[in-house]
Amino acid sequence: MDLEQYKKAWKNQEEQGQKITAKDILSMTQSKSSSIIKWIFIIGIIEFTFWLGLNYLFTLNGVFEPYRKLGLISIMNATNYLHYAIVILFLIVFYKNYSSISVIDDTKTLMKKILRTRRTVKWYVYYNLASVVIASIIINVLIFSTPNAVETIYHINSSNGISPQKVITIAIIAQAIVLLLMVLFLGLFYYLLYGILLKKLNRNYKELTKLESS
Amino acid sequence: MNKDLEKDFLEDFEKNQNIVHKVCRIYTNNLDAHNDLFQEITIQLWKNYAKFRGDSKFSTWMYRVALNTAISLYRKSTRRVKTQDIDEVNFKIAAKEYDDTEEQQLKALYNAIKTLNDIEKALVFLYLEDKSYREISETLGISEVNARVKMNRTKDKLKTILNPE
Repeated sequence: MDLEQYKKAWKNQEEQGQKITAKDILSMTQSKSSSIIKWIFIIGIIEFTFWLGLNYLFTLNGVFEPYRKLGLISIMNATNYLHYAIVILFLIVFYKNYSSISVIDDTKTLMKKILRTRRTVKWYVYYNLASVVIASIIINVLIFSTPNAVETIYHINSSNGISPQKVITIAIIAQAIVLLLMVLFLGLFYYLLYGILLKKLNRNYKELTKLESS
Repeated sequence: MNKDLEKDFLEDFEKNQNIVHKVCRIYTNNLDAHNDLFQEITIQLWKNYAKFRGDSKFSTWMYRVALNTAISLYRKSTRRVKTQDIDEVNFKIAAKEYDDTEEQQLKALYNAIKTLNDIEKALVFLYLEDKSYREISETLGISEVNARVKMNRTKDKLKTILNPE
């Protein structure tokens, strides 16, 4: 049977369609959207808040106290300002990308814009992870190259029977483990979160781009 | 707020709501999901209605928003129905008997479309709605040549599903 015959059946279904009344349509327009765009925005904002909050929490809990002792506080402050400037830049790019998303665009452009917005957040997370790693490397080098730094920070002296060398080794191993766990945990978290959220979109985008390249 | 805008929207929507129903029927597999997608499309249409300035037909614009919502914005992954999942009885009746009622043809057609992927569904849908290749390529954001090539392949695929040897 030819497709044209099915097309005829398709055309004649017009009249049988279920009707939704104006009242119902109106109430639908008032309800909340649960679209991907909205979720990308919400998750993005949560991530910005999360990393900023983490930074703030560290300051409050005196995590940076040892650096004050070592006279590194002005460097810390400078890098902090730089960090906030970069965060603001990320926020601007994120918002710009987000507000460029329009359902009126063609399908491919729309998907491209959604994925670009999500990528901004991804790079923001990469930036944060990289800055954690780089900052800890710099700080470790600074601390361990400063004479008596370990003793000053951890209040140890040779009479405790703990050698500063041992403290250094333990500190480095502990930091490496914490960093590794953090990266693994976040990686898994994002993989699941965006994997679930964008599975369909990614699949459809691939299908469309495949079509253009063949 | 803007009562006139609301009134115009409801009028336009009511006249063309069949488009949305058809999109929902293609892209979902049960009534709950159908209603869910219908609501999301309605929200998107209303949210963007102020931007719609009548430079194109409302229906043209509706096709775009409805398909975009189904393909890109709707969160739930619409699992593709596998051929063997389809209501076999209906399927066979429609395929075997030549002079079948239109209703059964329609059922078979919908079942066949549901086995396609999201992009193929959009292509077939626009074909059934008599859209030109130009409009199809503009809606999906692909070139006209590619739309044509993919359409022919999809139609062949559909024919094979509808008329198994």
